[in-house]
Amino acid sequence: MYNFLTGPMVWITFLVVVVGLTYHVVTYIRGLDWRLDRVGYRPNMQFGLKGAARSIFFWLLPWGSHGWRAKPLFTLLFFSFHIGLLFTPIFLEAHNIMLRDSWGIRLPGISTGLADFLSWVVVIGGIFLILRRIAFPEVRILTSAYDYLLIVIAVSPFLTGLIARYNVGDYNFWLIVHIITGHVWLLSLVFTKLNHAVFFFLSRAQLGMDYGIKRGGMKGSQMSW
Amino acid sequence: MKKKILLATTGSPASFGAARVAFEMAKRYDAELLLFHVAGVPKKGFSYQEVSDVRSQEAVSVDEDYMAWVEEELKTTYAKQLEECKNSRILLATGLPHREILRAARSEDVDMIIMGAHSGDSSAVYSKGYPGSTLQRVAKAAKCPVMTVHRESASYMGGFSHIVFATDFSKQSESAFKYALSMAKEFDCEMTLFHALDITSKVLAQSDIEDKLISLRKRLRDVYGPKMGEFKNFEVDVWEGNPYVEIVKIARERMADLIVLAHNTRDLDPEQASMGSTLEQVILRANCPVVSVNRPDKV
Amino acid sequence: MPEGTLCNRQPITTDEQLKLTLSDKGGKQYYAEMEQLEVDTDKLWSAIQNTMKSRLKTWLNVCAKCGLCADSCFLYECNGRDPRQVPSAKIHATLGEIVKRKGKVDNAFMRNCMDIAWSWCTCCNRCGQFCPHGIDMGVMFSYLRGLLFSQGFVPWELKIGSGMHRVYKAQMDVTTEDWVDTCEWMADENCEEWPGLEIPVDKEDADIMYTLNAREAKHYPEDIAEAAILFHVAGENWTVPSEGWEQTSLTLFAGDWEGCKQNVLHVYDAIERLRPKRVVGTECGHAHRATVIEGPYWAGREDGQPPRPFLHYVEWLAEMLRTGRIKIDPAKRIKELVTLQDSCNYVRNQGLKNITREIMSYLVEPGYFVEMAPNKEYNYCCGGGGGFNGIGKYRPQRNIALLKKRQQIMDTGAKLVVAPCHNCWDAIRDLEEEYPMGIRWSFLKPLVIKMMIVPDHLKPQDEEGEE
Repeated sequence: MYNFLTGPMVWITFLVVVVGLTYHVVTYIRGLDWRLDRVGYRPNMQFGLKGAARSIFFWLLPWGSHGWRAKPLFTLLFFSFHIGLLFTPIFLEAHNIMLRDSWGIRLPGISTGLADFLSWVVVIGGIFLILRRIAFPEVRILTSAYDYLLIVIAVSPFLTGLIARYNVGDYNFWLIVHIITGHVWLLSLVFTKLNHAVFFFLSRAQLGMDYGIKRGGMKGSQMSW
Repeated sequence: MKKKILLATTGSPASFGAARVAFEMAKRYDAELLLFHVAGVPKKGFSYQEVSDVRSQEAVSVDEDYMAWVEEELKTTYAKQLEECKNSRILLATGLPHREILRAARSEDVDMIIMGAHSGDSSAVYSKGYPGSTLQRVAKAAKCPVMTVHRESASYMGGFSHIVFATDFSKQSESAFKYALSMAKEFDCEMTLFHALDITSKVLAQSDIEDKLISLRKRLRDVYGPKMGEFKNFEVDVWEGNPYVEIVKIARERMADLIVLAHNTRDLDPEQASMGSTLEQVILRANCPVVSVNRPDKV
Repeated sequence: MPEGTLCNRQPITTDEQLKLTLSDKGGKQYYAEMEQLEVDTDKLWSAIQNTMKSRLKTWLNVCAKCGLCADSCFLYECNGRDPRQVPSAKIHATLGEIVKRKGKVDNAFMRNCMDIAWSWCTCCNRCGQFCPHGIDMGVMFSYLRGLLFSQGFVPWELKIGSGMHRVYKAQMDVTTEDWVDTCEWMADENCEEWPGLEIPVDKEDADIMYTLNAREAKHYPEDIAEAAILFHVAGENWTVPSEGWEQTSLTLFAGDWEGCKQNVLHVYDAIERLRPKRVVGTECGHAHRATVIEGPYWAGREDGQPPRPFLHYVEWLAEMLRTGRIKIDPAKRIKELVTLQDSCNYVRNQGLKNITREIMSYLVEPGYFVEMAPNKEYNYCCGGGGGFNGIGKYRPQRNIALLKKRQQIMDTGAKLVVAPCHNCWDAIRDLEEEYPMGIRWSFLKPLVIKMMIVPDHLKPQDEEGEE
């Protein structure tokens, strides 16, 4: 079981993720239609790319956009959650050892303390995201079971990882659960709304191009994100 | 050519004086009388039908029924006059009052517009964004003389016997003069050529004022005397003071029953007009009909 | 009854049908027929499949339901923060649901969609600025309006508006003769005060071709005269086309995309016919959006540009003030608190935010100009955009929507609001009518005419006047 999940299954998952996300990107771009979207992408590519870059940049910066500044606490929660979510699995020492063992390469690692901290940030962040959905009427009305499921999918590898790491209960059991939820996490990048890992960039770029080309960019007036 | 008089009326008591004068004038000139009424002012952004009723200020939607009702109301209001005046038509429109009055005057090529000073309430919100009152704007842009009858008591009962023509020597006053003279001839009445020296803006020595009065009297005679032709029944006078007050005062003193003056566009700031313009103040205060003439076309 | 005589899936294309629909007082029969109107679900679904490509699909799918768009929406705030007014909730309850059910929706659902599309959203696009995923719900509501229009679920006035454009090539029944006559009238009415003033119709190869809003021709032609006076004073070689002069597009509000294309082509045809160097449009927001911003795409111009450079009035005016072709008398500058309404359609949607402020810097004595908060591309809709002002059925909702602008204006302390947009101008007028607060409002043209220095050679010559 362990060997399968950390051997062939990894290949399968990685393949599915790479192919799936590439598919998303390609079909998205091919599905852009200058007439229907009313954005002249091709002839005004220079303006478009600049607009896209600005649109992504200001929203990747914590408190970088009017939107983020309008909700400073949420922004803090949101950025910590996502940083934990992305940095921890990539730079975790244990993952890197596995990487070195199988492919002979490794990425810079982070200390265990930092990894623990980031994992806790994700778990607690997830809890706050759930509480937020319950507490605020304007979010509650939008929320369905699917949205909770997504948070569970996103957080569970971290929670199970922490359990395994602190040796609570059966280490091997929790390790397997951790690996399975990890696979689910990765596959969800393709098959669920977690695909916003790529669609965030695509959609932001599109709106950025809209502003960069049609809504002022070509008049020399940059959207103040 | 047959004359046409356009009576712009709100159908309310405020315009009864104007109506009386209009019907009298029509009879006198054997003219065609167009009874014109703006039924409603567009209310919504690009409204096709909803207007605010001019009298009730309520939102109504315009359709044949409504227009027929408005027409019936007008017929009832002016039943007696309409019966006597065979040559009349009722015209209805929707839109901003001053614009529709001007539009009708233009398309019907009328010779005179007669209106009450309250035709179209300038305090209503719909007109706030458009500076100046209905009267101001009609008087400024109309190509024909515009007669305003502010008070019912200002509507004459007989003919005209004394006309005061007030001039500021502007180009527009030329046209006003021609009109005043032709009226004076028509009605064979007295005429006073009048100018008011405005001393409200600065303090002048009394001797300066008197010198000016003398030279202005001379100027009046020099400018208008030669144009009088056969007509001899006139006098010339210049008073000092606040122009509109002096015009109203001399009209009262001479027992004038008509004041003619130009609507001088030059110093008109429409937003200040309701307080400031000489014409408007004369209309509000005079006890007789006031005709403003701005253009040479119809005199 | 599948389709009514007034309320049906066909746009109005004949004068007869237009008059018939107009004669239906307040749309009473029209809305009654709508309750029986069948939804052509196959047509609806195939329309979605043909026109909903990756941008819209992604926007619907990728929404994280985070609720960050809530506070961006003035309608949400004005309506007591009703969660149903959250932009994301609104679009998912309507367009999202239609897509989810593959177009299989019933009459009641469509009527509800109509209410939401036209009275819960003005397509001001402000929410799109607050969505981390860059989802512009205003664009999606425009798209929804298109679907609703094609199914006949459109407010009565907008059905008529679209018909007016299709029949009269203008939003109101102003014919070519009426229009040309109005130009003559206005030149005539003002030629004494402005010697030499002309409104040249159909002059070829002029420097500027001017296009406008049919309401100006119909109800306040003064605006045309004012435009003429300013061109005259600036010494422009200008013209108006006899056809293709109407720049507005109620079809845009109605979601009548085919009609939108027809409208903009009338204007572009006039440009091709008269070959002006540049085109200037009047002080209108949606007209500019329809003709300059979206229009090129409807007309099939891939570069997204109109056939000739096409300026909004504020761009032309700013240029004149900047180059000194129109000079403002410093003594006549505005010396009271004054604020400026940013129109969504050319500020948020074309970035002309600094142009209007440049104009204000010439017109207002330093220290008297107060900004609204928020402002520029983050300004709120006037409360009457996207057709809201004109729809009788949604008057109560519109009046609530005005409250945001009311608060913004009150906070500035200004009693004068400069509103270089017809829709905003109307909304602010109605605002004063509904909730009197003693404000005045104005387009730019009359302000500039009052304040500018008229060169001596343009003044009436033979006037002596009082001593």
